[in-house]
Amino acid sequence: MDRSRNKSGEMRQENKLKILMPTLREKDRYISFQVISEEQIEYSDLEPAILNTFLDFYGEYGFSKLSFWIIKNLYDPERQIGVIRCNNKSVQQTVAGLGLVSRLGETRITIKIFKISGTIKGLKL
Amino acid sequence: MNYFDFHVHSAFSGGESSLEQLAITAKSLGYKGICFAEYYKGEEQIKKLKEEIEKVKQKIGIEIFLGFEARNLKELSVLREKRRKFDVLLARGGDLKLNREAVEIPEVDILTHPEYERIDSGLDHVSAKFAAKNNVAIEINFREVLVTSKRTRSMVLKNMTQNIKLAKKFGAPVIACSGSLSHWDICDPQCLVSFVSLLGLELNEAKNTVSTVPEKIIKQINERKNEKWIAPGIKVVK
Repeated sequence: MDRSRNKSGEMRQENKLKILMPTLREKDRYISFQVISEEQIEYSDLEPAILNTFLDFYGEYGFSKLSFWIIKNLYDPERQIGVIRCNNKSVQQTVAGLGLVSRLGETRITIKIFKISGTIKGLKL
Repeated sequence: MNYFDFHVHSAFSGGESSLEQLAITAKSLGYKGICFAEYYKGEEQIKKLKEEIEKVKQKIGIEIFLGFEARNLKELSVLREKRRKFDVLLARGGDLKLNREAVEIPEVDILTHPEYERIDSGLDHVSAKFAAKNNVAIEINFREVLVTSKRTRSMVLKNMTQNIKLAKKFGAPVIACSGSLSHWDICDPQCLVSFVSLLGLELNEAKNTVSTVPEKIIKQINERKNEKWIAPGIKVVK
């Protein structure tokens, strides 16, 4: 019998890992923030600016420890509110790094931190 | 928790933004109060600034304090004489003589960026002891980090860490400020707290740098405004 198929003959998702036990999983924190600027900021402009600032400040090794992720789907270009995910041990590093994002090319911006939560629901966006 | 930023430059002294713009941004970021750190240009400037500040205070609804930043020893002695006419006296660090003089004077509230344009941290254990004795807050200036990069930024961070270490050991107060020249430079208070916590303070201590330490300075300001006050620790009882 083909090992990649189950009894009903459907393909198994071989490329997907099993979900880790909660004790082994990394604990996430979600940080909601608002970009204050004169012009409207698109996600495509914001993402590289944030990533480059973090890479400059923490370096590649330090950045890898943050488990940093900007959640694209949750960015609201009208209200300019976004959400960043990091692990629970690097919340302070992430928030400090966001304070260093002060420019998007020629546009000057300020980032305001709204809330830090363990779930996206807890952010009450 | 109440947050305060005690080092903001307006268009009156080298800054880019007006008092109103700065106050609006500070309020939107969650600050309860800010202090404009101006350069002294004469008696009339104090009057004009006080009038402007009163207008902005009423319009925006945020606590605003008037501070003067002494850039050299001469300015420091002039500002000491006029100490009761404004709220906060800051001394611009960087020069070793000024750093030492500032921490030895109880009238000085804040020694700003002692490591400014220096290879070393600008503070030694003797200065840290004096700062603790005279209650002079050692500033961690966020703008120093914001405007530098690569090697320079790493040096600034190293010196700030050293200053925090000394202040912590000898019990000198540490204050975190944005040091902004423009309303875009004003940093979110939570970012400031997190940044200071990266430099070697516990989270509670880091929070104190933007709330408790400025509140103590405000308490001193209010005491100084009292007619019975003569000098730190001396007042008319009768």
